[in-house]
Amino acid sequence: MTETTQETEAKREAAETGEVATAENPLTTTSGETEEETREEWIQYEFDDEAKVVSENLDVYYGDDHAIKDVSMEIPEKSVTALIGPSGCGKSTFLRCLNRMNDRIKVARIDGSVQVDGQEIYQDGVDLVELRKRVGMVFQSPNPFPKSIRDNLLYGPRKHGDLDAGLLARLTGRANEDAEEELVERTLKQAALWTEVKDRLEDNALGLSGGQQQRLCIARCLSVDPDVILMDEPASALDPIATAKIEDLIHELSKEYTVVIVTHNMQQAARISDQTAVFLTGGELVEYGETDRIFENPESQRVEDYISGKFG
Amino acid sequence: MATDFGVDEESRDTLVQSGTSSTRALAAFAVAVASVLFAISLTALFEVVTISEPIAGVPVTALLGGLLILLGGTVSMFGVGSRLGYVETDPRASAGLVAGIAFGGIWFTVASLTASQTFGLGGLGWFVVAPVIGGGAFFATILPREDVGSTVPAGALTALTGAVFLLDVIGPQWVWDLGFPDAFFVAVTAEFTIPTLTLFCSLLAGWASAKAYGGFGARGRHMGAYLLVYINALSIVGVLFVLLAFTIFKGLPGLFRGFAIGAGTGPTSTIVLFGTDITWTWPFYVPFAMEGVGLLNEFNGVLPAIFGTIWLVIGAVVFAVPLGVGAAIFLTEYAERGRFTQVVEVATNGLWSTPSIVFGLFGFAFLIPRFGGNKSLLSGALTLGFMLLPLVVITSREAMIAVPDEYRDASAALGVSKWQTIRSVVLPAALPGVVTGVILGVGRIAGETAPILLTMAGAPFTPGSETVDVIGGFQFTGAPPFVSNPALLEATSALPYQLYALITAGVGLGENVASPDQFQWATALVLLMVVLSFYAVGIAARYYFRRKLQYQ
Repeated sequence: MTETTQETEAKREAAETGEVATAENPLTTTSGETEEETREEWIQYEFDDEAKVVSENLDVYYGDDHAIKDVSMEIPEKSVTALIGPSGCGKSTFLRCLNRMNDRIKVARIDGSVQVDGQEIYQDGVDLVELRKRVGMVFQSPNPFPKSIRDNLLYGPRKHGDLDAGLLARLTGRANEDAEEELVERTLKQAALWTEVKDRLEDNALGLSGGQQQRLCIARCLSVDPDVILMDEPASALDPIATAKIEDLIHELSKEYTVVIVTHNMQQAARISDQTAVFLTGGELVEYGETDRIFENPESQRVEDYISGKFG
Repeated sequence: MATDFGVDEESRDTLVQSGTSSTRALAAFAVAVASVLFAISLTALFEVVTISEPIAGVPVTALLGGLLILLGGTVSMFGVGSRLGYVETDPRASAGLVAGIAFGGIWFTVASLTASQTFGLGGLGWFVVAPVIGGGAFFATILPREDVGSTVPAGALTALTGAVFLLDVIGPQWVWDLGFPDAFFVAVTAEFTIPTLTLFCSLLAGWASAKAYGGFGARGRHMGAYLLVYINALSIVGVLFVLLAFTIFKGLPGLFRGFAIGAGTGPTSTIVLFGTDITWTWPFYVPFAMEGVGLLNEFNGVLPAIFGTIWLVIGAVVFAVPLGVGAAIFLTEYAERGRFTQVVEVATNGLWSTPSIVFGLFGFAFLIPRFGGNKSLLSGALTLGFMLLPLVVITSREAMIAVPDEYRDASAALGVSKWQTIRSVVLPAALPGVVTGVILGVGRIAGETAPILLTMAGAPFTPGSETVDVIGGFQFTGAPPFVSNPALLEATSALPYQLYALITAGVGLGENVASPDQFQWATALVLLMVVLSFYAVGIAARYYFRRKLQYQ
């Protein structure tokens, strides 16, 4: 496309939106964010339930890069919270702060506070094993272990000693095989995968389809009995039908678990979440509130621009 | 819309090759002749076919010469025919600079050798002739269109070589004395020259005819490269096969000397297990693999050396694999990547390329004094273990780095500790790679002679009853250290060392061994079989671990 057509297009767009593209304010994708001040009250979200996870003045630095700026938000229990925003805005980083997965990145430095069930997780003496059992995580691309479906599900409980399946336990008859079967069936049913795989639990998990693998990962996450499930774009590598299944599943899970989901797909956020937090470039939490209100009537101009697809 | 993008429709390759099948058949015929010549020259080089003996009444040189002239003529004819428009091809404007330099260099060498050696023109003569002919070939390659440039220089050289063979300029009796002082009498004989020249010409002309078969252009270049790569791979496999077949062929008579089969023919073996003797008689008898050397033996064998080699390899693997894998775990999973890991990496690579005799000296100087002052199985196994260690570290590291980080993330997100993740996820996923490394290493150490010579080897001719008995050697005592094994501290023989002693030192050429030559080849064959059995075990293990990781 030549420069002239670009300009004409920009003018036509400006005529539609009632804005005029100038040299200072060109309506292109990246610089569409206006220079507005973020206001404190935009992120005040009142809700009736208990707050499950609370972050206060959370800052994350990757080396010199300030990835998250002063984020404070309260996440209500047994609901779905969506984190949306353009690429590189820090929403995944924020998510990984909630179960300290960022500890695994050497250059990351974290300031501020995150509380789970009212207990500070960034302090000495926090048991990471217990924290991650309580706050589970599902990743962007399905990552089952190259083991059988059953072993994938029993991996966590066995390693934590909740299920004793060692040779000694088997020899002394302490291995609780009924409990194992129960756990496999319960988690697979919760992840809506039971009917599809119940006859081939010994097969390698890598033989499942992408959508099935992701549901297996969700089931694996459920196997250690978490309260909170963090999902980092769980459906972005899947086709629409598999995505729909995952979305239904998230809806079901929110009855018992607190789900926090990062997504690029705004329709998805609108469909499945109870409340939505919008992060914008620079790692700022700009607006946080009930999903319907955010999508229909955002307070911030930048959020409105982002949601209506003007940039990002 | 006008398509004026400067694409000349004329210069494009044809979409569908419309060349008549007879012209393509001509090129295919040339490729076939080249392949046949390649095969003959390779067999002649390994003296399967003898140059001086005629095949079916036709002298080999005449046969090779005729085929070479036929090949060269066909290739050149095809190129010229294509230039004159009789054959439809898609040649480029030139054969290219690389082909030009190659042909120029080849013709330069040929011209200088011919001028100075055949015509005896002396120093000045070849100095004039060679650049003229070499330059001529260079320009004859790059100046004409590709179809002539890449066929005629190759075809002419092939035909010329054929004529030289046919006219008996280089015949079976031909010898080129390189003229070094008498002490270093070196001569190039026809037995070597004729196959080598044929090999070379068949490759050149084969490349040219494969290009012609593809109709020159991009397709032709692809075909030419394909032929060279294919022939190269085939000849490597062929050489390996010849080596293997040669050893087996030579070794079998010695190995099966005195072979007998039937109940009660074999020797009697006894194993002591929990205080009870289990005794059985083998239903077959292979004296070479079941006996040592003894004065009363009808047939002699190498059983002590076989067991020496087996225990040596087992000892080295038992020592090196846990240490190496442990070091690799530390370097990949725990150590911070930086200067330290880099230094360790360079050091391990260096250790792997350290000559084995240096490891042998280390064992001789450090291990032997610490294990009773005598050469022993234990110091031999440890020395070889030290040799194996770097390869195990290197390959295990590679295998662990190749395990996707997603597995580690997934495990960490379940709250599983690092060590448990390594044990249950990373190691199983890396095992096939680790096993591959161990297989490679075992192949090397099982055939090592120098370290064994210095650290382990006893007399190469030991009676069968002195076969090292590691399992039976364990002795249990009531006081610390409770268990000891004198068998580990005894000197013993090993196959590579035995072979070395037989061939170089001439040990055992007395009355004990009836036919030393057969004995040597049979030893080599047994060594090969022992090493290949270790390979088989390793490959089976790798297959098993890999299957566990894959669905199917």
